[in-house]
Amino acid sequence: MSWNLVLYGFINTALALLVSPLFISLIKKVKAYAQGRVGPPILQTYYQLYKLFKKERVYSYQTSFIIRLTPYLSLAFMMVASLSVPLVFIPAADPGLGNIILFLYLMVMSRFFMALSGLDAGSSFGGMGSSREMTLSAIIEPVIIIVFGALAYVLQTTSLFDMFGQVRENSFLSNPSLILTGISLFIILIVETSRIPVDNPETHLELTMIHEAMTLEYSGPDLALIELSHALKQTLLMGVLLNIVAPWGLASEPAAGGIAVAFLAFVIKGSLLAVGVGIFESLMAKFRLFRVPGLFMLAFFFSFITVIFKFLA
Amino acid sequence: MLENIPLNDILKILLVLVLVTSSLVLWQRSLTSLFKTYALQSLLVALVAMVFFINDGHLTLLFIALLTLFGKVFLIPRILNRILLQMNIRRDLEFRFLYPVSSLIVSILLIFGVYQVFSNLMGEVMPDRLFFLGAVIGVSMALMGMMVIFSRKKMLTKIVGYLSMENGAILFGLFVAELPFILEILVLIDLVILVLLVTVLAFGIDSTIEDFHPRFTPLGEWFKKK
Repeated sequence: MSWNLVLYGFINTALALLVSPLFISLIKKVKAYAQGRVGPPILQTYYQLYKLFKKERVYSYQTSFIIRLTPYLSLAFMMVASLSVPLVFIPAADPGLGNIILFLYLMVMSRFFMALSGLDAGSSFGGMGSSREMTLSAIIEPVIIIVFGALAYVLQTTSLFDMFGQVRENSFLSNPSLILTGISLFIILIVETSRIPVDNPETHLELTMIHEAMTLEYSGPDLALIELSHALKQTLLMGVLLNIVAPWGLASEPAAGGIAVAFLAFVIKGSLLAVGVGIFESLMAKFRLFRVPGLFMLAFFFSFITVIFKFLA
Repeated sequence: MLENIPLNDILKILLVLVLVTSSLVLWQRSLTSLFKTYALQSLLVALVAMVFFINDGHLTLLFIALLTLFGKVFLIPRILNRILLQMNIRRDLEFRFLYPVSSLIVSILLIFGVYQVFSNLMGEVMPDRLFFLGAVIGVSMALMGMMVIFSRKKMLTKIVGYLSMENGAILFGLFVAELPFILEILVLIDLVILVLLVTVLAFGIDSTIEDFHPRFTPLGEWFKKK
């Protein structure tokens, strides 16, 4: 393994972890402004994670090792997945890290353990959340595979490294069907991060919550790890979307100056996208559960049209 | 093929966006959003005509762009919004035969079908891929508009289906054979009349029976007197 790859892994994961809470805070801030409130400070998620890490853990006496293991596993899966999505520079060689199938499976593994931990305490809330999460997963996972499949077909590669490299080298205009994939990826971002109109991350109402119901049993550092892994998942999906639709600023060499500029570019693009997500959430009302598959179908439609467009153009 | 490469790419982007708006017309339930989507779709069609004008320089294309802009981006959505203000309807939640999800699946099959048919029929006539793409998207749009007409129950949504079909026809006309300008004007006048006529029908059909019944009562009384 070359030093280039080691350096890439270290920098990419560290930067992804560093900026993830910022994007969460930004979305909350935009939503607060939309509701006529001042909202939390931009660094509030960092303070919250710091506070949670200092607190003690509390477990129900009915839980097994699953609930203790899941926060570490969830974050570990996301950290490994972060190696698949270059945020600042694309390493020269790809030893298989950027494979989209690997990336998707790592995300699914994290979700699988989260659902297990929701069931572990035996509470009706956790079970309900896991059940809903799995129901939606059964519909969204094929759509995600189709979307990434369409992307692989258009760019003729299954490696995210090569995809980002190609989009960066060629003019965005040369592949206009990527706009459609961008819309599909945005829908996936909304669904996977449990945002309105699919789920409401800020409520603990029995009728509406999906993701939050699975995390109700967690406290202290475990909750911090879960929240961090959720934020990291959001950053990775934002990274995929941004590097496909707006790959500007991505460095080609691991030089200090280039990495600094690329990081700054990613923070700016990510912040703009976070503001966009906040505005989108503020404009939408939560869908009824049975209307949610319609949103997935829209992503499916756009990815299929991407393939047809590639045929035609 | 357009001589100017950036214009060629811009046309492709516009066509992609037109397809996005067509799918949203099928998918949306809020009538206000539906009218906005139609206005956006018409704006994109006007931009396509404008790109052709920049490339070819034919004044007819400029007039088509301006006519589409004023008629379909501003006038018709404004009329539709005024009708909506007077009606007590905000969303179209009733469907017949196809729900939005199944409509999208059928649309995929439609686009693929149109592509197959056009490949066999027009592959040799139209060797330029961009014009072939425009023709396929134009006809697909018209068929998607037709799907809106038969799958929705509210008259206002049906009107948007008609209008979306007409946008598809214009797109097809722009890419395959330039329509004479007089036809464009006639089509637009037809559209305005269609919107007004359907409005009259819609007032009867979409208002409640209790509201509608008193309108007929004086007519019945008049016949009785005779």
